[in-house]
Amino acid sequence: MTRRAESMSRLIKAATPTLLGLFGVFLLALPVRIAEGHIPTPLLPLVIVFFWSIYGPNYLPAASVFAIGLLQDFLSGGPLGLWPGVYLFTQYIVLSQRSYFLGREQKVVLIGFAFAAASAALIIWLVMSLMSGTLLPFRGLVGQMAVTIVSYPLFSAGFAQFHRRVIVENS
Amino acid sequence: MDVLGQDRREGLGRRAESRVTLLTLILVSILLLLSSLYSAEASVFRKARETVMDAAAPALAMFSGPISYIQKTVGDIGDYFNVMKQNEALREENAELRQWMNEALALRETVAAYEALSAYHAPPGVHPINAVVIGESNDVYSHSMLVNAGARDGVKSGQAVIDAAGLVGRIVDVGQNAARVLLLTDVQSRAPVYIEGADVEGLLVGRTKARPAISFTESSEPVIFAPGQRVLTSGAGGVLPRGIPIGVVAAEREGEAIVDLYANYARTRLVRVVNYKFPTVEPVEEEEPSADGTDEAGREAAAVAPETVQAAANATAPVSAPAALIAAEHTQAAPPPAPPEPADADEETSPEPVAD
Repeated sequence: MTRRAESMSRLIKAATPTLLGLFGVFLLALPVRIAEGHIPTPLLPLVIVFFWSIYGPNYLPAASVFAIGLLQDFLSGGPLGLWPGVYLFTQYIVLSQRSYFLGREQKVVLIGFAFAAASAALIIWLVMSLMSGTLLPFRGLVGQMAVTIVSYPLFSAGFAQFHRRVIVENS
Repeated sequence: MDVLGQDRREGLGRRAESRVTLLTLILVSILLLLSSLYSAEASVFRKARETVMDAAAPALAMFSGPISYIQKTVGDIGDYFNVMKQNEALREENAELRQWMNEALALRETVAAYEALSAYHAPPGVHPINAVVIGESNDVYSHSMLVNAGARDGVKSGQAVIDAAGLVGRIVDVGQNAARVLLLTDVQSRAPVYIEGADVEGLLVGRTKARPAISFTESSEPVIFAPGQRVLTSGAGGVLPRGIPIGVVAAEREGEAIVDLYANYARTRLVRVVNYKFPTVEPVEEEEPSADGTDEAGREAAAVAPETVQAAANATAPVSAPAALIAAEHTQAAPPPAPPEPADADEETSPEPVAD
């Protein structure tokens, strides 16, 4: 492989988590409607932000997280700044607890994710209630976060394989 | 997982500056939020939104096709298991609809007789724009959908969006090739409605739940309505045309009417943007000599009784238009490329021989 091709492949690998995050937002904007809309779509970008903040924060810098959140705001039609704030806050919390999570069992990490998702939900509820001037119902939000938490082990197992075999290997 | 723990400097970011950047960007997000709190409709934000929507539309359209195919296939498998039950339900519904058809045919004759009267002025026609849902917000507190019709197709902000069942929402953002539909369940959604048979008007307010509620203006008289009564757009405010069916009153809670929507957002796919212009009353100008006789006749017809036109439009007239549209959609599997335009009679054409 020439040096140029090598540096190109390196750049692509480095950008993969960011691209995955943007793709996650894109998936969220599609009319997926699992079980005729009875099951809310899991927040894949939140999983991506959480996962790479623990296992490879250099692959998902704050600017990427901001871009992912901003794209979600644009596509969902919500107030600008909400999702970047939520994702960056999640990244901040995870980075501060990173040394605790590294090398832990996945069960522990899942509990950590549940806490992160709950605090993200709390922020979203507070901000949206403030913006709409009334206390909004939070049942739907709890449902969406629950689906995201339940699907976390599945996504994280996939991302772990991907990270190990493609991104880090031979980089 | 041990390999995952390795901290390599191969990524996009550099560790040393990451914490500062992170905090700065959090601050930027908060500032953005505050600015959208105070100037939600700032033109820069709106433009950015529309640009992103336009850029994403082709890709969303490409992916939403296969998704709807899968949904349909899965739905078909589900249908296979309860085909007998569905058959029975459809047979009952068919019998009921036949009665309605006979009643509608009788009414059509009566209406035609009234339309032939010289005092009748047809309301402006409705020109629906067909569109397919290519995206939706999937967000708990922002309920909207993206459709593949935009300014290039004649879609404008504020227009009503209907499907086979009834009102879906209204257009809020318009790009060149795509537009955003604010659903009735969104917390920002407000639609002027009336309850049929109860003679009350109110605002249908979205509450992020599946069933929005009608809030009534404060009045000394109690508002009386009953579950099962139909809810339709009232046309107040001059944005949504009058008479588009929305749903039925399900219950009463704290003085508000909870409404069961006709629209099923889990199945909404083909929609129509109702390009409806409210008739405006223009001051009658001085007569100018015109070479074209028919033109003059048309102007005369328009000038006869502007208040009648306004009254007709505000009262009952456009009811027939969207209703007929919906009826047309019921009878056809897919919307025709050139949609039928009932009540399309313009002032020049409709009250023809009787007017003289």
